[in-house]
Amino acid sequence: MFATTITGRPRGALAAAALAVMLAACGGPTASTGVTSAPASEPAPGVSGEPAASAGYSGPPATIEYAIWGDPAEITSQTAIAQTFMDANPSITVNVSVSDWDAYWDKLQTGIAGGAAPDVFAMDGPLFPDYQSRDVLLDLKPFIDRDGYDLTQLADQGVADFTTEGGQYGLPRDLNVIALYYNKAKFDEAGVAYPDDTWDWAKLVDAAKQLTKDTDGDGTMDQWGFYTETTDMENYWLSTVWQNGGDVLAADGKSTVLGTDEAAGGIQFIQDLIWKEKVMADPAVFAETGDAFEQGVAAMASNGSWLVPTFQAAGVDFGIAPLPSGPAGRFTSVNPTGAVVYKGSKSPDAAWEFVKYLASPAAQEQLMQLKASLPVSKEVLAGPYATSFEGAQVFADSLEYAKLKPSFKGYNEFTTLLQGELDENVFSAANKTAKQALTDIVPQLDALLAGQ
Amino acid sequence: MALADLRRIAPPRAGRRGPRAGEGRWALLFLAPTLVGLALLSAGPIVAAFGISLTSWDLLTAPEFVGLDNFFALFRDPRFLIALRNTAFYTFISVPLGMFLSLGLAIALNQALRGIALIRTAYFLPVVTSATAVGLVWAWIYSPVDGILNQFIGVFGFPAQKWVSDPFWAMPAIIVMSVWQGLGTSVIVFLAGLQGIPQEYYDAASVDGAGRWSRFRRVTLPLLTPSIFFNGILALIGAFQVFDQVYVLARPGKPTQATITLIYFIYENGFKNFKMGYAAAASWILFLIVAALSVVYFRSQRRWVHYQ
Repeated sequence: MFATTITGRPRGALAAAALAVMLAACGGPTASTGVTSAPASEPAPGVSGEPAASAGYSGPPATIEYAIWGDPAEITSQTAIAQTFMDANPSITVNVSVSDWDAYWDKLQTGIAGGAAPDVFAMDGPLFPDYQSRDVLLDLKPFIDRDGYDLTQLADQGVADFTTEGGQYGLPRDLNVIALYYNKAKFDEAGVAYPDDTWDWAKLVDAAKQLTKDTDGDGTMDQWGFYTETTDMENYWLSTVWQNGGDVLAADGKSTVLGTDEAAGGIQFIQDLIWKEKVMADPAVFAETGDAFEQGVAAMASNGSWLVPTFQAAGVDFGIAPLPSGPAGRFTSVNPTGAVVYKGSKSPDAAWEFVKYLASPAAQEQLMQLKASLPVSKEVLAGPYATSFEGAQVFADSLEYAKLKPSFKGYNEFTTLLQGELDENVFSAANKTAKQALTDIVPQLDALLAGQ
Repeated sequence: MALADLRRIAPPRAGRRGPRAGEGRWALLFLAPTLVGLALLSAGPIVAAFGISLTSWDLLTAPEFVGLDNFFALFRDPRFLIALRNTAFYTFISVPLGMFLSLGLAIALNQALRGIALIRTAYFLPVVTSATAVGLVWAWIYSPVDGILNQFIGVFGFPAQKWVSDPFWAMPAIIVMSVWQGLGTSVIVFLAGLQGIPQEYYDAASVDGAGRWSRFRRVTLPLLTPSIFFNGILALIGAFQVFDQVYVLARPGKPTQATITLIYFIYENGFKNFKMGYAAAASWILFLIVAALSVVYFRSQRRWVHYQ
């Protein structure tokens, strides 16, 4: 009675037990894929250029588990891509499994701890070092060398994010960049010219002021000139830090340079949009009610390329422009999602074949139809993608001035500490200037980085 | 002495292998699923978690033995102390509040009215509703733009509040939602307790001239103490493990310093920060706190719990 009642509650059993149950549940024997790969299928770096290798997979039949995070549209798309791959490689079966973002990483970690990780899985750029440094990913360099695979066919930043000294621990699968979305109707209504590549911070503020309106005169704004998400550096503040000449990490990656005036100035710009210029709502408001641009109550938004299908579905008539440049120039953020192979995979050859396929022009053309991310294949980027929807060209061009979202060991803990301070004291309320908040939090961030 | 005591309470014909001996075996058999479950799924993991708490383990590479370092580090970790403080605040507000409200509600629902079953069911609905759905509805009630709560207080001229993102209101907002969601469980227990009180006691009390309040104070309350005790222990343990309510309601983004609780801290360290050993140590501290409070609570029942 006692036990059943307790377990009936959310997160029921005692904490210690709950935690350990998760571990125990995953601590079983390695899940058998029913396929044993012959030792001969190990990569043989010495035989590059072998015709059989480039003709595709010729190993024993294999089943590979492919895990991704995503929404229903992505599941459909990735499953279709896997199906095309299986049609071309009948001896390989690919099982696609999908989780939401949080559950994905929980399952992945427990899976690896229990020796039952998927063979191929999606990897977020910033989290890559946390996995790679713990030796759970397979180095693909021997396969790349063996097949003479040309990495330069893929977007440079995408490749670089999964490159280590001497190794290549994954191929990029897609890219996401940040740009300026604008609501055409709101601009037309206010008689403001659409944003273009001549825009800088001052022009952004100027236009945003004209587009912030209290239409019913009740003293509260009904339309905001600008909107972005402040709870993650990617959506905007990372770019403004770069645009102001700042950065997140020092060159050696051992400490943060967020305490500099340049970095603080980039974050201060956003605090000013909210609390000084008042062209952007208190972020807490839309964190609770959803995306202001999607709802049609913001005229502009700095946000990710992944939102195109969302905004289209919401019926917003929008355009896409480059992020306005700052005092130190024009920058935006690019964040690749990679496909990596589990080091303990029973079928590394089949897994490699699939990873390679995911980055191929054929798969990339399928992927780009979602409009949810940029293809990594340069051929597709420059060709079909750039003309696939209005604004795609802006995304493709932005790779020229895009920098990689920081990627380092301890990323989650770092951002939790940092965002806690910024959200509470800089963005949701102007309790501190950006400089003050950063000065307060940087010692903790540095201590954290030193311990990694 | 023990033997003598045992003889005294032993069944009169202890020597005979009668139905009672069989009953014991049957009882064990029926208890087996729970006992086996507890041993495998609770006791084992609790011990395993203690082992893990003595290591530095990122889940991905081999654990490294570090002795009690994790425990020492926890008490120097401001985030852990904040989580501890928040959890204590949540527990010591939500448990008494929930008990008080559910007792009142149970008494109100303990009437022979038409359609009372329907009303009772309505109060139980939140219990069986997913925390996510409940969180969404409450996010709407608490909405800083035109949420029901802000509209309501606006009628009385109060300014709109950011109920879930303002550090001052965040935890009270979570407590109110959790109490509302948890009411049904304790109401059911109280209702069962109320209906188990024989009508004769009330009749006798009335004959003796006891009024409504006296009957409640002298008959209902003492006879309800086992239910109060039972609800109290469940609420206490549940409150220390609060997670879902925080997870679904916390904005912006993630739980902040105002709302991180022990379980969230454990989750965050184990699965986000690659510190499973540290998380296991925190879970052991939580376990010890709950165990200690439970012992104190069980010891106290001699003084205030009356079994019929």
